[in-house]
Amino acid sequence: MKRPPEKFEVLSGDAGCYVPRMEIAPPIIAPVPSAPLIEVAGLTKLYGDFPAVTDLSFSVRPGEVIGLVGPNGAGKTTTLRCLSGIIPMTRGSVRICGRDMASDPIEAKRRLAFFSDEPRLFDYLTVNQHLNFTARIYGIANYQEIGRALLEELEMADKTDKLPGELSRGMKQKLAIACGLLHSPEVIFFDEPLTGLDPIGIRRMKDSILKRGRAGAAILISSHLLHLLEEVCSHVLILKNGRKIIDGSLADVRQRFSEQSGDNTLEEVFFRATGESKDAP
Amino acid sequence: MIAGALLYYQRHWWHNRLLTRLRRLRQPKYLLGAIVGGLYFYWYIFRAFGRAGRGARFSPEHQDIAQAIAALVLLIMVVLAWILPHSRAALAFTEAEVAFLFPAPIGRKTLIHFKLLKSQSVILFSALFVTIIGRSWGGGSFITRALGWWVVFSTLNLHSLGSSFARTMLLDRGISNWLRRILVLGVICLLAGGTVFWLYNTMPPPPPIAEGTENSAWLNRYAAQILQAGPVPYLLFPFRLVVAPSFATNAGQFLIALGPALLVMGLLYWWVIRSNVAFEEASVELSRRTAERIASIRSGNWQARKPKKGRRNPFKMAPAGHPAVALLWKNLISAGNLVTARVWMFLLWILIFGGFMLRSQTQGEAHLGQALAFLALILTALSLFWGPQMLRNDLRLDLPATDVLKMFPMPGWQVVLGEVLAPAAMLAGLQWLLLLLAVILFPNRFDNYSVTLGQRLDIALAAALVLPCVDLVAMLIPNAAVLFFPAWFHLGKDAPRGFETTGQQLILMFGQLSVLALSLLPAAALSVVLFLLTNHFFSTGLSVLPAAAGAAAVLLIEAGLAIRLLGGVFERFDLSGEVLQTG
Repeated sequence: MKRPPEKFEVLSGDAGCYVPRMEIAPPIIAPVPSAPLIEVAGLTKLYGDFPAVTDLSFSVRPGEVIGLVGPNGAGKTTTLRCLSGIIPMTRGSVRICGRDMASDPIEAKRRLAFFSDEPRLFDYLTVNQHLNFTARIYGIANYQEIGRALLEELEMADKTDKLPGELSRGMKQKLAIACGLLHSPEVIFFDEPLTGLDPIGIRRMKDSILKRGRAGAAILISSHLLHLLEEVCSHVLILKNGRKIIDGSLADVRQRFSEQSGDNTLEEVFFRATGESKDAP
Repeated sequence: MIAGALLYYQRHWWHNRLLTRLRRLRQPKYLLGAIVGGLYFYWYIFRAFGRAGRGARFSPEHQDIAQAIAALVLLIMVVLAWILPHSRAALAFTEAEVAFLFPAPIGRKTLIHFKLLKSQSVILFSALFVTIIGRSWGGGSFITRALGWWVVFSTLNLHSLGSSFARTMLLDRGISNWLRRILVLGVICLLAGGTVFWLYNTMPPPPPIAEGTENSAWLNRYAAQILQAGPVPYLLFPFRLVVAPSFATNAGQFLIALGPALLVMGLLYWWVIRSNVAFEEASVELSRRTAERIASIRSGNWQARKPKKGRRNPFKMAPAGHPAVALLWKNLISAGNLVTARVWMFLLWILIFGGFMLRSQTQGEAHLGQALAFLALILTALSLFWGPQMLRNDLRLDLPATDVLKMFPMPGWQVVLGEVLAPAAMLAGLQWLLLLLAVILFPNRFDNYSVTLGQRLDIALAAALVLPCVDLVAMLIPNAAVLFFPAWFHLGKDAPRGFETTGQQLILMFGQLSVLALSLLPAAALSVVLFLLTNHFFSTGLSVLPAAAGAAAVLLIEAGLAIRLLGGVFERFDLSGEVLQTG
């Protein structure tokens, strides 16, 4: 097996992937009194015999925004789909706001929202009908009031009778967000939320994420846009080959991977943590 | 060099497509589908291949009329190509072809040649198909008839392309679609009017039908008179040239007919190649629309196209209440504006009004009303078979959006119930209307039996009670198939095609019928028992009501159990290997 560089150690069971050897005490993070809204313990997802996610554990507290990063095929989307209850996990447990996803999925799902990279809308429902439909599913009595406010915030109040086919990519994304936020979720999962958005859309999406985070939501964002994650995330979780390489606050993770160089951007941390080469072949 | 590349692409497209099809036969689902699909096609189509050339032939007299009629059909198709289309010239390319070929250093003539070459596969298949199907239409050998049809289809293809270019040129010169249609229709009306005028003034009147003469013989003689004299042969002349090879009775005749037909083809080819029309932009749009439509159809939405404008709410849905109603509401919207309460009330009114009008006017001549009543009853019975096949706005439509459904905070049984409610409700509504029509129009006496309005109402009420329950069970069967055998339901634009998928559909259809028959047995048994018991105390008409109530109860219990079972399956449903991409 290849020897790891000096001051680095091989991550258990993953040859070629190194983490800095802990020679100094990690920074002490002040304990947060509130209970985690997302608790993941030993999450494993197998596709046949192939392990897409292996023994993943972490937790997210109110107000924390976690960036889920990793190379293609690392298991980010699978993780998010297991956490949202879209696909069943093979082993482990997921608790959303204290509700177990396996034994109490209805109450767990009632408290979360999942936004996929491609907005998933019904072609034949208008914007208003989407809101009405979502309101009935989640039982939101005052949906018209909340929906109107959301549409105004998302600058699409004049599009209420439009079909998804008549909306731009960004507008579709906004509609998906309006539907997802209608029931005021405490836990929000974003899978590549910035895909296909223009600069203004990206800015608004970032603001919206920060706003929800400040309001106390626990947010998990999967994205390849590391510099953008740096702007919105308080924490980061790096995956490779379905396994967790590291997680913690952004400052903590930066500190752990910045011993040999002054460059401590999330991008640099990502390359060091995953053992990927930054230089194009 | 470019032509070589395009030929390379075509060759390998076919080669890889064939290999993929053969490789997937290793999976039992495709192998089974291939066997059933193969048997089906053999039985209905290829079995005819062995008999090709041995079918009945037209007599020489009929042969000439048939050729003239074929030429007339071709004339109509050509005229329609100038009237119906409204879009600009667009060559049908796939999205990948657009992405690779359009930015490549390829001239438009080469693109047209590529398109013509590519269309040959469809033309050859169509020619073969029509030759087999129409084995008794003409004389000659299988080869000459197949080549003849190839000439017809290739000529039509060239004309279609040329006319689309010409229409675009007219649009570019400020001649709108409507003006073009008016001009073309004007010319057609002039020609048709002139022909009719000529026929009226010069042709002898139709020969009288001699006593004992068959209508077809009389009609043949008169048609021959019209098609073989006067201006009609001149009008049909170029079209007859094109169809002549497919009607040749021997090789010599075929070769003689082939020359002029190829000349027409050559002229059309020259017209197409010489037309200097920009088709690229419209082709890009067409390829996008085609890809969307294919994806939609293969995802189970046979209505295919995305709606262009919002549809009315089928009913006002309150935000609080049973969440399964939201799925019913959504799926009714997906069915279009035809399922609004207003439309159903309108249909109901029309049926009642029209039915009673018809009944009152046909008191003496009851045949039409009786025929319509029987037709309504037959359609009601058939709807149990075609309803679940046609009305697919349930899990079959929503299968690609399973991840969205799985996210809803609803137990699985509610999702399944909500999904099947819309098609079951639509089918039941349709059946009720048909029953109503049958009640109104069914004669008071049938086959020496008196069938009073009261009896008809009793039986119709019983049927109206049972049918929605049967529909619910019938709709649950294909939805169960989706959940138990998701791999058999094809999703997205890369979904497989071919006769093995036809075979799979046949297996599913057979399964649907078998399971439905089995699930109806307990209800049928109970209803017979109840009918026999109550018939001692009530009239026959009244006895059907408790029998129907019993049957409905059994069916509802079955449906409830099935919904519970399928709900559990839905909750454990893991489509990750089928439709979801993994990150």
